[in-house]
Amino acid sequence: MNIYLNKNEKASANAVVLDDLFLTKDMPTTGGSMMLKGYMSLFDAEVISKLSAAGYDIAGKANVGEFSVDLLGETSYYGACAKDDGTLTNACAEWLNAGEATAALCFDINGTPRRAAALCGKTYIKPTYGTVSRYGTIAIACSGETVGVMANNAADCGKVLSAIAGHDDKDGTSLSEAECAQVKNGADFTKIKKIAVAKSICDSADDATKAKLAKFREVMSAQGIEFVEIDDTTLALAKTAWNVCMSAELCNNVSRFDGVKYGHRTSNYKTIEELYTNSRTEAFGELLKTIILFGSETLSTDNYMRVYDKSLRIRRVVVEAFAEIFKEYDAVLMPACAKTSYTMDDVKANKYLSFDEALYTAPASLTGLPAAVVGGVQLIGKAFSEQALLDAAAAFEKEDK
Amino acid sequence: MDRDVLRRLEKLNQLSLTEEQKDDFLAFFAKQEQEIDKLYTKDTEQVERMVHVMPIMTVVREDIEKKLFERDDLQKGAPETTDGYWQVPRTVD
Repeated sequence: MNIYLNKNEKASANAVVLDDLFLTKDMPTTGGSMMLKGYMSLFDAEVISKLSAAGYDIAGKANVGEFSVDLLGETSYYGACAKDDGTLTNACAEWLNAGEATAALCFDINGTPRRAAALCGKTYIKPTYGTVSRYGTIAIACSGETVGVMANNAADCGKVLSAIAGHDDKDGTSLSEAECAQVKNGADFTKIKKIAVAKSICDSADDATKAKLAKFREVMSAQGIEFVEIDDTTLALAKTAWNVCMSAELCNNVSRFDGVKYGHRTSNYKTIEELYTNSRTEAFGELLKTIILFGSETLSTDNYMRVYDKSLRIRRVVVEAFAEIFKEYDAVLMPACAKTSYTMDDVKANKYLSFDEALYTAPASLTGLPAAVVGGVQLIGKAFSEQALLDAAAAFEKEDK
Repeated sequence: MDRDVLRRLEKLNQLSLTEEQKDDFLAFFAKQEQEIDKLYTKDTEQVERMVHVMPIMTVVREDIEKKLFERDDLQKGAPETTDGYWQVPRTVD
């Protein structure tokens, strides 16, 4: 398995592994792309400084798919995150399985860490957008990407989240210290008592995933939590709106990789145009090229209003739909992915599987709401309700023996 | 979307696809068009667009000169430099 990119042999037992999307001064940062092969940053991401201040070591850098917009890491230039039998896995989860880190910082650009936690039996928390600094991350889909924490249990997720949450002047999208403190200190939210079940989204998953959803409902119902199936037609619109926004933002964000100031430069050029085109063509994988071109087209004069502007309006519609749901319910239950296992054959048959799987991850990405993954299912909560989500996850873990 | 439009997109984004990749992209784009049509099941005529989910404003700070990095350090990752400048092919004849 291609899970290790860099390993800190001197790390203590209290160490956190990083997706290779966080800039590190003393280790290369590649984003899983040939474009950044061997790239050394001049500074550390803010979350690394915060981890260090809280007494954590950095265990190393974990392999990721190219800029983490694929399904599970299959597009990494440094080798797909797959087992010998072709089953896809996730590098951070494998570091945790190997006992080489107590937690992992993941950059939730396009839902990969949530899928990974669900498939690999880990617990994960994606906090409210703006409560953890993105300074020093490789920006790809700025309006929705969030630093998240994966661990073997909710308690470890909570400890690390508490260490990294906080306002950062260096991040223009960072929320106020008072808002971040709700995540850092665990806001005094009422415990989750009533959960809305996103019916059609749950029904679209396979039987094994449905069994995980049923198990979650059974365990939590025994603890007095009420589940009510709701019409989720509006929430499902998040999929395409997010795919459009993510692609448009990615297209702009990766335009900085041109082979001039840093990153891969082709040896095959005579003119500046050839330098740009050949460098990018050689260094970017096929999925990334597809997303760049799709994103570019959504921003074109012909499509801007019809596609991009429409998606931004749908974002508000989905945000308001969640607000309406949260008047009556404390969280929304849905899967984090359609299946309980994926193979290299699956992604060969459909290279764009992450676009389909956005049905499950886009609602939280598009709206910036916090989401927890536990027991292979996803719970989306109100803004700043991370502690309530983690408490629910811990309650499930306790009974799920 | 046809091959002419795709060619323009490739040029605009400084990318070059193989013929097989072009076919794949056109099929992908056609599928996404169907997905985009579904967004129109919801009337958003009176809905204001939402670029950011949080009330984020442009951050303004004091314009104070700070030297963050040395030129030599900045150019350590450069593919090619000459006399402290980034080297590219001639752009003006």
